[in-house]
Amino acid sequence: MKLPASLYSRRAFLNGLIGGWLAALGSAFISPLLKYIVPPTPEPDQVTVPFADYKDMAPHTVKGFAWGNKPGLLQRTEAGEYVAFVGVCTHLDCNVSFVAEQRRFYCACHEGWYDENGLNVAGPPPSPLRRLSVSVEGDTLIVKRQG
Amino acid sequence: MKALGAWIEDRLGLGPVAAFLAKKEVPCHRHTILYYTGSSILLFLGIQIVTGVLLALYYQPTLAEANASVVRIMTEMPLGWLVRSVHSWSATFMIALVFAHLLGIAFTKAYRKPREATWLTGVLLLGSSLAFGFTGYLLPWDELSLAATKVGTNLPKALPVIGTWLTQVMRAGDDVTGDTITRFFIVHVSVLPLALLAILGVHIFLVQRHGMSAPLEAERDKIKLPWLPFWPNFLLREAGVWFVLLGVLLTVAVFLAPGVGPQADLMAPAPEGIKPEWYFLFMFQTLKLFPARILGLNGELIAMLVMMAGMAAVLFLPFIDDRPFERKGKVITGLAWAGLAYAIGMSIWSLM
Amino acid sequence: MESDVSRRRRAIAAAGLLLLGALVASGWLEARVQESPQASLKPAAAAPEQDKPAAPRPAKERMAVYVILAWVWLSIAVLLAFLRLRVREADRVHRMGLHRAGDGPPGAPGH
Ligand code: HEM
Ligand code: FES
Repeated sequence: MKLPASLYSRRAFLNGLIGGWLAALGSAFISPLLKYIVPPTPEPDQVTVPFADYKDMAPHTVKGFAWGNKPGLLQRTEAGEYVAFVGVCTHLDCNVSFVAEQRRFYCACHEGWYDENGLNVAGPPPSPLRRLSVSVEGDTLIVKRQG
Repeated sequence: MKALGAWIEDRLGLGPVAAFLAKKEVPCHRHTILYYTGSSILLFLGIQIVTGVLLALYYQPTLAEANASVVRIMTEMPLGWLVRSVHSWSATFMIALVFAHLLGIAFTKAYRKPREATWLTGVLLLGSSLAFGFTGYLLPWDELSLAATKVGTNLPKALPVIGTWLTQVMRAGDDVTGDTITRFFIVHVSVLPLALLAILGVHIFLVQRHGMSAPLEAERDKIKLPWLPFWPNFLLREAGVWFVLLGVLLTVAVFLAPGVGPQADLMAPAPEGIKPEWYFLFMFQTLKLFPARILGLNGELIAMLVMMAGMAAVLFLPFIDDRPFERKGKVITGLAWAGLAYAIGMSIWSLM
Repeated sequence: MESDVSRRRRAIAAAGLLLLGALVASGWLEARVQESPQASLKPAAAAPEQDKPAAPRPAKERMAVYVILAWVWLSIAVLLAFLRLRVREADRVHRMGLHRAGDGPPGAPGH
C-alpha cells in the first residue's frame, strides 16, 4: 500500500529536523574533543641552564641541552661566544648531530649537511637550522627564542 | 543515494536484518519500561568506550607515572577533568542500570524457558561490568585505590588449594606492585572490552531470537497484547530516553567531578575510612561482619563461600526456577526483594 | 485506544522519573564514596599540601563548560520536542495499519 504524499513528506521533514538537531548537538562536542586530543604543547619562550656546565667548552665544540621536547645545541665559537641552534633538521624533523672533525652538522636521515653557522650546505634540507639567542647572567645561561 | 544503498546491500546483504527489524514488535504493558534498561546500558557502554579511549591517550600504567599521569590529565589537558569525570560517572550509571535490568528480569520472570541462555549471558555481562569497575578503580593509583585493591585481591586467598595462586595471578606476585597496575590496565582496556563485546553479541542475538517477553498473565491466557513496531516507534522513544540520560550524565559529571588522592605509597599504612566503589559496598560490609572464626572454621572462608553460593544462585536462577512460564513464582520475587533490601541495607550501613 | 495511549505515556513518564531518581541517588552515594575518604584524609596527611583539583581551574574553561552544558540541554529539549512529533506521526501510521509500507529501516523491503 502506498502512503499519501502528505504523510510521507511530514515524516521526511521531521527526520530532517531530528537529524539536523543531532548534528547541532554533536557539534557542541567536536571542538572540545579536538582540543583534548591535540593538547597544547607550546615551545618554551626561554630555557635556563647552569652556566658552570658549559663554561669550559673549547671553541668549535657543541654541547646539548633540552629545548622543550627538542634537542638544543649550544656551540662555542672561535671568539668564545655562545650560539645556540634547535638541533632539528629542517627537512623532515630528524635530530641532527655535530661532526666535530668536519665542523659541520649532519642529519643521518637523508644525509643532510649544515655548516658551522647552521647554513644548509648539502643534501635535501631546504633552510638553515633555527637559531636561538644566548645570554649569560651570573651563573645561568639563558636561551631564548629569536625574533 | 539509492545506487550507493544498492551497492552496499550487494556487498553486505543486510536486507534480512533490516527486514527483521522492520517486523520486530515490542509488546506494550505495565512492564514495558523495563525494555528501556537494556538499551540505556548500551548508551553508557558506548560512552565508556569513547571516554576510555580518550583517557588511555594520556594515561601511563606504571608505578612511577600512573598517579602523575592522571593528575596531568585533570590539570593540563583541555577538559581532561571532564573526560575523567564522565568516564567515572558513566561507569556508575551503567552498573546501576545493569542491576536494574537484572532485577527487572528477575521480578518479571523473563529468564524462564526459552530465555535461560539469555540470562546466563546477562549475568556474565554483570560480572564483566563489575570487573571493569574493580580494575578501573586501581588505575589512578592513589592511597585509596591501593588499599581497595589489596583487600579485593586478598579475598581469594581464603579459598583452599587455588586461593593463593588466584591472588598471585591477580596481583602479578604476592604483593600489589607496579606490575599489578600494568596488568589491571591491560585487563581493563583490552581483555574485558573484548570479552564483554563478545558476550554482548550473543546476548543481543538471543534477545532478538526469542523476542521480547510478555507479562505472565498474557503468556498464560495467550492474549495478544497491544504492541508497537520496534522500528521506528519504539526506537524513537528509546532515543528520547538516551538524550535525557546523556544530559543528566553530563550535568552530574560537570558538577561532581571526582578528585584524585596523593600517590599510593607501597610502604605507608592504609588510610582511614577505605571504601570500595558503591557497588561493592554490600560485599565489603558483609566481610566486616563475619568474625575471624566461626565454629572453629576460618570466618573469611565462610564469608567467601556464602558469597560464592549467592553468585551461583543468581547465575543458575533459570535452572533453580525452571517452572513453566505462566507460574507466578512468588518465592523468587520475594527472594529478589530480600536480596535487594539486603544489598541496599548493607551499603547504607557501611556508609554510616 | 486513546486512554491506552495516555496510560502508556504516563507510565513512560513515571518510569523516566524513577530511573532518574535512582541514578541520581546512586550517583550521590558514589560521590560520597569517592570524596569523603579523601576529605577525611587531608588533615591527617602531613605531606605538604598537594593541590590536585577536581574541578577546572581556569575560570575561562569553567565558563566554557557551563556554556556547553546549557547548549547541550537546549539541544536536548528541542530534540525531544521533535522526537515527540515524530513519535506521534509514527504511532498514527501504526494505528492506521500502514507501518509495513515503507517506514522500516533503510534496506528493508518496501522501503
Ligand atoms: C553490559 C550489560 C548488558 C547489556 C548492554 C544488555 C543489553 C540488553 C538489551 C539491549 C536487551 C534488549 C531488551 C531490553 O532492553 O530488555 C537485553 C535483554 C535482556 N537482558 Fe540484558 N544487557 C546487559 C546485562 C544483562 C544482565 C546483567 C542480565 C541478567 C542477569 C541480562 C539479562 C537479559 C535478559 C534475560 C533479556 C531478555 C529480556 C526480555 O526478553 O524481556 N542482561 N539486554
Ligand atoms: S630529515 Fe634531515 S635530511 Fe631529511
